[in-house]
Amino acid sequence: MTVATDEDRLSETFAALASSTRRAILARLAEGSATVNELAEPFDMTLPAISKHIKVLERAGLIVRTRHAQYRPCALDPARLEEVSTWTDRCRDAWEARFDRMDDYLTQLRSQRRTDEHDD
Amino acid sequence: MTDDDVSHDAVVIERSFDAPVELIWQMWTDPDHFAAWYGPDGASIPVAEMDIRAGGARRVCMQVETPKGPMQMWFAGEYREVSENQRLVYTESICDEHGTVLAPADAGVPEGHPTTTEVHVDFHDIDGRTRIVMTHVGVPGDSPGAAGWVMALDKLAFHAAAHISR
Repeated sequence: MTVATDEDRLSETFAALASSTRRAILARLAEGSATVNELAEPFDMTLPAISKHIKVLERAGLIVRTRHAQYRPCALDPARLEEVSTWTDRCRDAWEARFDRMDDYLTQLRSQRRTDEHDD
Repeated sequence: MTDDDVSHDAVVIERSFDAPVELIWQMWTDPDHFAAWYGPDGASIPVAEMDIRAGGARRVCMQVETPKGPMQMWFAGEYREVSENQRLVYTESICDEHGTVLAPADAGVPEGHPTTTEVHVDFHDIDGRTRIVMTHVGVPGDSPGAAGWVMALDKLAFHAAAHISR
């Protein structure tokens, strides 16, 4: 088995997150672990359909399933979500950097104008 | 939870500039001004075409010098809303130099990653200075128009972290 690159992993995470049902499941799990039955409750979906979504999330490493007597409750594994969050931060950082440059550029324009006025 | 619930969430940045609103508007709509600040450090903007009117096209090329020579990235989009000195809304997609939008894999971004995004800029005149509110929303590949999921996930990650540390 080869080690998946960060990009591959992020790709898998985003694919798993590209579903409002799966995001709703994660939002529920952010409040605490739950069984498949509990997770299925708010949805107008069959248990097998919900199980399928849970498997996608599990494969993407977004949730873990523990063995607890005969139950296997699902719990959130926040590490992958943090990677997504890092991506969002990068987008924000890119804009902050652009606005810093806009500020510098405006200063440059202002001093140019002053020089021009001085020349007149 | 539906996608509509998160439509107001996105990357939002507020910033004030010591310049009149007319000049800040030009920063976004005059290709020469735009090219001066938009490119990341060490990059240049050799092409910035902007047809500033609702429905008008935009095309931007970003160039970085690499040891193997210059590398170009192209972005194409459309202006959605143009209210001079007030509000600018445009879309942006990663594309090739002909303006053909690339699939995430070809664009070098992970599957499911937003290759199309929408940028909203609101301009406010505050006694001769300008405050802008910039919103950048991602549009997920499988549900066009369902904007704003990026920040929603950000919040989710925050809740998750808080939950784990409890």
